[in-house]
Amino acid sequence: MKMYFLKRLLSLIPVLFIVSIVIFMIIHLTPGDPASLVLGEEATEEQIQAMRADMGLDLPILTQYFHWIGNALQGDLGTSYFMRQPVTEAIVSHLAPTISVAIIAGTISLLISIPIGILAATRRGTNTDRTVMGISLIGMSVPSFLLGLFLILLFGVKLRWLPVAGYQPITDGFFGHIKYLILPSIALGSMHAALIARMTRSSLLEVLNMNYIKTARSKGVHEYLIITRHTLRNAFLPILTVIGQTFGSLIAGAVVTETIFNIPGIGQLIINSVERRDYAVIQGVVLFVTCTYVLINLIVDLLYGVIDPRVRLNKK
Amino acid sequence: MSREKLLEVKNLKTHFNTENGRVTAVDDVSFHVDKGEILGIVGESGCGKSVTSQSILRLFDEKYLVKYEGEVLFKGDIDLLKLSKSEMRHARGNEISMIFQDPLSSLNPVLTIGFQIAEALMLHEKITKEAAFEQAIEMLKLTGIPSPEKRVHDYPHQLSGGMRQRVMIAMSLACKPRLLIADEPTTALDVTIQSQILDLIEDINKRFDMGVIFITHDLGVVAGLCDRVVVMYLGQIVEEADILNLFENPMHPYTKGLIKSIPHMDGDRKEELHVISGTVPSLENVPVGCRFAERCQFADELCQSKMPDLRVVGEGQKVRCWHAEKIAEQEEAPVYVTS
Amino acid sequence: MHVAQEQDKLLKDEFILAKKRLKRHQKKLLFRRLIRNRGILFGGIIMVLLTLLAVFGPIFVPYDPYEMVVTDRLMAPGAQHFLGTDNFGRDLLTRMAYGARVSLSVGLSVSLLACFFGMLIGLLASYFKALDNVLMRICDGLMAIPGVLLAIALVAALGPKMENVILALTIVFVPNVARVVRSAAIVIREETYIEAIRAQGAKTWRIIVLHIAPNTVAPLIVQASFIFADAIITEAALSFLGAGIPAPDPSWGNILHDGKVFIFNAWWMTVFPGILIVLSVFGLNLLGDGIRDYIDPHTSK
Repeated sequence: MKMYFLKRLLSLIPVLFIVSIVIFMIIHLTPGDPASLVLGEEATEEQIQAMRADMGLDLPILTQYFHWIGNALQGDLGTSYFMRQPVTEAIVSHLAPTISVAIIAGTISLLISIPIGILAATRRGTNTDRTVMGISLIGMSVPSFLLGLFLILLFGVKLRWLPVAGYQPITDGFFGHIKYLILPSIALGSMHAALIARMTRSSLLEVLNMNYIKTARSKGVHEYLIITRHTLRNAFLPILTVIGQTFGSLIAGAVVTETIFNIPGIGQLIINSVERRDYAVIQGVVLFVTCTYVLINLIVDLLYGVIDPRVRLNKK
Repeated sequence: MSREKLLEVKNLKTHFNTENGRVTAVDDVSFHVDKGEILGIVGESGCGKSVTSQSILRLFDEKYLVKYEGEVLFKGDIDLLKLSKSEMRHARGNEISMIFQDPLSSLNPVLTIGFQIAEALMLHEKITKEAAFEQAIEMLKLTGIPSPEKRVHDYPHQLSGGMRQRVMIAMSLACKPRLLIADEPTTALDVTIQSQILDLIEDINKRFDMGVIFITHDLGVVAGLCDRVVVMYLGQIVEEADILNLFENPMHPYTKGLIKSIPHMDGDRKEELHVISGTVPSLENVPVGCRFAERCQFADELCQSKMPDLRVVGEGQKVRCWHAEKIAEQEEAPVYVTS
Repeated sequence: MHVAQEQDKLLKDEFILAKKRLKRHQKKLLFRRLIRNRGILFGGIIMVLLTLLAVFGPIFVPYDPYEMVVTDRLMAPGAQHFLGTDNFGRDLLTRMAYGARVSLSVGLSVSLLACFFGMLIGLLASYFKALDNVLMRICDGLMAIPGVLLAIALVAALGPKMENVILALTIVFVPNVARVVRSAAIVIREETYIEAIRAQGAKTWRIIVLHIAPNTVAPLIVQASFIFADAIITEAALSFLGAGIPAPDPSWGNILHDGKVFIFNAWWMTVFPGILIVLSVFGLNLLGDGIRDYIDPHTSK
């Protein structure tokens, strides 16, 4: 298990290295000079030169990279020239709403999708199964920002049940917090719920077709125990992978959802920075979210070892 | 010696509902197993032998997939096909148990073997986990697994193929069932391990006076083990005989073909191994006449158009062929085309 | 004698009849298989209709997509403007028809380009072990960055233009294709017949192009339809955020962007383009699922 953990950790190094290069290169893709783009057309030559020095653009590219990555490794993602504040600080101050939305969305979607997937699998071929599959196919076809808009139209404009924009920190009251985040979370979670429900179903069906399920039946094991004891743990492995992957895209999806519902999270931070051409913030946010995503997938992989003795006891 | 019938299958039909309509995988099959007897069921893959065995335990999904007809009488008067779900569950593993072909895929990879053996005991005998594990260790000892106290905590992937099959056998014996159904238990194993497992099954059969249904595609395995043999082809029984009669005096052309295709270690090595020409037709379009007609040398219009009944031809021997006697007369002539 | 012949004939007739029945049965099976693959059928119909809208819609719509008529601002759907107008008084139906051109051509271009480059990379990686490690690590790295974020950052750097949106989305989706192609190609590479061809002295590129590449096409087509759908979603999201197709060009995402501000008084600006996006993604998902089931019937059960 220790070896497995170490191996998995080491395999992250090249991935993160590539990630850092890609994100670093983004700013250098800009046609023309980033410094003059930042300052606008009226800037004087001296201003531009000063800006270039400020952004470190006058140094050789390799030096720039090592400078940037060296600082990033110490938690310094540069300074936002627009907000005049360290990028790390900006991210931290925008983090709470995003994490809240992602967690609520993730929880709701898991609580709904997994039982529904199990239900569909155990009743395969029936109308229940067909309904679940049909709804999930539609659910997968409605992107979160669109569902967000539809929800605003339905609950905010038509029914007027829930607030359609804004945010209240959890410190100002739990229910107020939830009230503002419920619609964004549903919008964000639906696609994942649909995907995980389908995955749960197909994974379960695959395991139910396994010979060892037949063995369990031939021992006289009750259908209920067949599902809970003999099927779920085996079926959960591929589901877990999907959950890990979708949790990463939950954070990414929050970017769009936050804009719709006017939630001051890191999504809004990056979108505002795109408009302001605040490259340091864009790079910082992308790097931060990617690292979170990679970390979550690492945790998922470690859970694999907990669930599956074949991984845990492998001496390789 | 007249023996008591342990299991009697009468006119069993198993229909599957597939996407292409209804398919009858087991078509009017009748046979019986006596107490303490080993019955072999032999046939090529797709002949319905596995479906027959799994139909006895009703392992298929009855809600959507399958429909049974006929009777499966256990201990004389209990019709397994009429039992309620919970009664059937009680019979499974407790009265009748089963072992399968591939021991690795037949064992749950995330549960210890000890638990998998103990599970049946906890279900059927309502004993504590500790007591069940004690018995599981006993069972492992019985099936010849070294240091069973340690092995109970192992997972299936930590054992060798032969060990896993021993675990499967230990699992099926846990509740001392009256009938053991072994579905190709040696096919996935090495030859040396095969004979060990066969010995083990024979030993268990003797020791517990347990009825055994041994399913295989290999007549060679049957020869040393079984008391009686049923030969199946495309969902039907084509011949039934005790073991001596079957090899001395096979009546059905298909049985003859099977016997001729057993490789003989002591025979002339230049002699070409017999092959039954053609392949098993699909169950989705079974021939109207004799199901073996397409591959049979002797088939005539009668065979093509009308299905023969399974009829008694000697003591304890039945055959499903119009021309069995005629073919028997022509014996010794090289009647088969090898291809 | 005569009676026997008669009987003989009867048997023969019965035999022929049985065979005829069999043939009819097989025909019925084929037909049923076609009907059963509703994914390809309905998904195909939806996509054909949307394509017709994109190709011929702009010819038939009565208005100019850019002409602003201040007096016609935010008109509800009605006789004059079938689906209403936007905040600049532009006809919504007209803009949606032109938007179909933009959104579908972005989706199609991205899926074609991603498939082309992905296949190239996947095949190279599968055949040349030295390249495999490097290329796959790069793919891992790119795939680790959430797609929407990478696209936003790339478009932000390159500048909001349709070509740049296509380029950015292609970069996002290429690694997926490369992975799929690579794993399919590796399976084929290990087949005995490839070994045999190689032993005969065939050139490497010939083996790749003639023998390996064709075998990766089936999973590629499935992948292409899903990428098409994903590209439509991502383009719409980018344009909706104002980081995609620049105004005043119409794309479905752009119309939603304009409509967001007026969601309380002009629902039609959100609902109608939204329906088109859902419809196209739904159609492509159906199509992809259908093709996958058709290629590999295992997954459908």
